[in-house]
Amino acid sequence: MTRSALLFFASLAAALAGGAALESASRAQAQARVPMLNAPSGLRAPAPAWRNTSWLNSDHPLTLSELKGRVVLLNFWVFTCYNCTNTVPSLVDFDHKYRDQGLTIIGIHTPEFPPYAGEHDRGNVERALRKYGIAYPNAQDNDSKTWNLYDIRYWPSFVLIDKKGDIRYQGYGEFHLNDGSYHTWDQRIRELLAE
Amino acid sequence: MGPADPRVVGRVRSTACLKRATVPGTARRPVAAVSAAALLFLSAAVVGCRASPRSDAPLYLTAGAQGPDTRVTLHAAPHLKINARLAPALELAGGTVLRFGGAPLTADSAYFSQPPSALLTGRHEEVHGTLRASVCRDDEQVCRSLTLEL
Repeated sequence: MTRSALLFFASLAAALAGGAALESASRAQAQARVPMLNAPSGLRAPAPAWRNTSWLNSDHPLTLSELKGRVVLLNFWVFTCYNCTNTVPSLVDFDHKYRDQGLTIIGIHTPEFPPYAGEHDRGNVERALRKYGIAYPNAQDNDSKTWNLYDIRYWPSFVLIDKKGDIRYQGYGEFHLNDGSYHTWDQRIRELLAE
Repeated sequence: MGPADPRVVGRVRSTACLKRATVPGTARRPVAAVSAAALLFLSAAVVGCRASPRSDAPLYLTAGAQGPDTRVTLHAAPHLKINARLAPALELAGGTVLRFGGAPLTADSAYFSQPPSALLTGRHEEVHGTLRASVCRDDEQVCRSLTLEL
């Protein structure tokens, strides 16, 4: 085998080994993060102000400052995400139960793919809202600015903000009506509504 | 080269659970490293180095001739499901976007139960572009995006 061939295969082996290390690290990171949904409280940081301009189910762009005095649940989602749409019935239930008591749920619709996939299209988002019976406000986050502002990594994700505008709970992952995570979020909402 | 003898044409490695692996900042470096690995792998294929898909890669592409064209198939590691509601896409350098499909779905129509594929016009030994796929791990309840510059 010539010297150049040996060098080539040595480079190939090194590159593949590096890739394996990357993947291994990513798995460890993912596994460490998933139980976050039931992580204890302790957060109390001011929620950053979103500046989305395209809204559905709202006659004007909602701002964080106008929601002071209400508990706000942000749901980062996209209609192409099965885990997200599976969680919608629980969010609709929270909206029915707690809107009059001071809860505002806001969907932050953040596309995964570039515009060719249709996730940026306002009409498609409107159809999804109708399909899933979503009556709470939704902001289109087509440039992912709010996603990045809140350092979100997964669909679906949730951020619960108290009446003073502080982030109190965050989490992610699909949940269903009356399962354990549903009750955890339900309890968290009731806790903040009672403050 | 036929469909029964697919050739690995690229590999995708997760840079974690990041939505956009290509956003400016730290995520770029791993992707560059991954791309370099993929290019090296492509080079190996071109010089005749025989390769079989590695079972630990999150995603990888194979290609096989279909008539005058090339069928590119996207495979996922056993622990990953590919989101069928957001068909994987291969954005070619010229601006063309190939969407993967044509495979059976799971009972809930949410995921591909067999590897989806796309037909690339003409015969190709290499594929250059950006591969995007939305994937879910079996043991998680979240969606995540993988992106690779091929």
